Amino acid sequence: MNARSQPLETQAYKHIKAKRSQKVIRANVILITILLIGSLTMIVPFVWMLMTSFDWSARLNIPFPPRFWPEEFSLKPYEAAFTNVPLLKYMMNSVLVSAGVIFVSLLSATFSGYAISKLRFKGGTFVLVAALSTMMIPFEVTMIPQYLLFSNLNLLDNYLAFYLPALNFAFGTFLTKAFVDQLPGTLREAGVIDGAGEFRVFFSIFLPLCVPIISTMAILQFLAVWNDLLWPLLVLQTPDKYTVQLGMAMFTYNQGNSDLPSIIMAATTVSLLPVLVVYFLLQKYIVESIAQTGIKA
Amino acid sequence: MRAFRLKRTDWVGWIFSLPLLIGILGFAVYPMVYSLFMSFLQNGEWVGLKNYSYVVNDTMFWKSLWNTLYMGMLSVILGVSLSFILATLIYNVNFPRWRNFFKAVYFLPNVVSLVATSILFSLLFYPDQQGLLNYVASLVGIEPIGWFTDPNVARFSIVLMTLWGMLGYNTIIFLAALTSVPKELYEAAEVDGGNFFKKWWYVTIPYVRPVLMFMVIIGTINGMKRFTDIWLIGGSAGNPGGSLMTSVLYIYRNAFMSSQMGVGTAATYLLFLIILVLTLILMKLNKDQTK
Repeated sequence: MNARSQPLETQAYKHIKAKRSQKVIRANVILITILLIGSLTMIVPFVWMLMTSFDWSARLNIPFPPRFWPEEFSLKPYEAAFTNVPLLKYMMNSVLVSAGVIFVSLLSATFSGYAISKLRFKGGTFVLVAALSTMMIPFEVTMIPQYLLFSNLNLLDNYLAFYLPALNFAFGTFLTKAFVDQLPGTLREAGVIDGAGEFRVFFSIFLPLCVPIISTMAILQFLAVWNDLLWPLLVLQTPDKYTVQLGMAMFTYNQGNSDLPSIIMAATTVSLLPVLVVYFLLQKYIVESIAQTGIKA
Repeated sequence: MRAFRLKRTDWVGWIFSLPLLIGILGFAVYPMVYSLFMSFLQNGEWVGLKNYSYVVNDTMFWKSLWNTLYMGMLSVILGVSLSFILATLIYNVNFPRWRNFFKAVYFLPNVVSLVATSILFSLLFYPDQQGLLNYVASLVGIEPIGWFTDPNVARFSIVLMTLWGMLGYNTIIFLAALTSVPKELYEAAEVDGGNFFKKWWYVTIPYVRPVLMFMVIIGTINGMKRFTDIWLIGGSAGNPGGSLMTSVLYIYRNAFMSSQMGVGTAATYLLFLIILVLTLILMKLNKDQTK
């Protein structure tokens, strides 16, 4: 191999190589420039939102001509946002709802996914197929009877209306099953021989090993639940229990959003913060999990 | 001994699956069956196909379906082709850091809620010159456009907004697909004298076709479920002029605003059948293509 490539390392070859890499770099500069211009389209709305949110002079009307630097830089829009919209309350509610949904759905998914993969029980395949077929039913198809169900159970305006449906996290079952399939089955056998019960084996051997897939599912669920509007709109009635999306939606729905632009932008910025923080911290992870699974929960 | 162990895992397996089974039965199977049943009822009385005939004869239903399809299809066509081009561009950047940067930036709008997106865009798309987009347009002498207030434009504005939010999601999936194309195929094409575009056309596109199809199907289904953004922008009447009335909004109005659950569920089932048929057609097309 070496003997063959050695004579090729001549001046001429080096020259060709250099020319080639020069060409690649030139092409890349063009590519990066195009992509940078394109990414402006993605970023400008955020920048504009942020700038308007600090512009107290934009509190009554959309400033004209549009500007990207606040005329009257101030934190007052944020103060006004917190007094006009009970943002902290809404955020706390959203945290409660997301945390509960993540807990319930992940528990259900890891239990069933593990069982289907490692216990190989009679009917396991059936459970998996049943779960996967429910994934093809859009939520919109079942929302009316689900609403009536919770209404009949007197559970409207109750966060159980979020937690209970979370039991059916078919996508999570599928992800867990695929993940646990890669773990050796001997782990369970060793545990059983050592006298551990099935629950013990699950909690102390498999669950810790499942941390990567559990975090993936938790992120996907968090984004889905935090950003959802339709179900909260149907089941939540008292403003005290509103999630942040519902609270923001109701505020702008009743208010009209061309009034109080800076205050609305401040409120929107705050409502986005948790998601943006999660995104910036876990960006690589989120992008990877979407690329791998192809589906957002 | 062996029989005993098998039996035990069976038993344990079902216990482990119990939460999921309760979820499936209670929040998928039961609501599906119950809503089918309900679509034949009116105020608790069996009325046969009356709800269905009401929906089928309601011009609003067809209008909402047309709007939904129009916005959905346009978003899918533009979204999938744009994101494919975008993914190709990002894929060909040779510097990993830049590649990751672009992935992160283009995906960013995807994590933003539809509520925030709608609020943001209704200001960006403000109908007179105060709106940022109209202002920029006015600099090159274009008259202000009533993005969300002109019935002829509103649906297209929604498509633009959807593109902003969805582009990164599609791009990430395409990028994953592009990375999986075997390098040998490109090398073989190069030996055969293929240039960049030929390689793209004859190697890349056939190879990622299943992903392409996946995205068309997912995009179509998601388009058929559109509610949040149009409800926030167009209100429950789907303004302007009902041009933003979509199928789910139609269902929402009938079921939750006029309390006609029977009509709502009948419309839901029709919508479900339409989604199912569309998906089956797309899958069939894909099968024929790969043969």
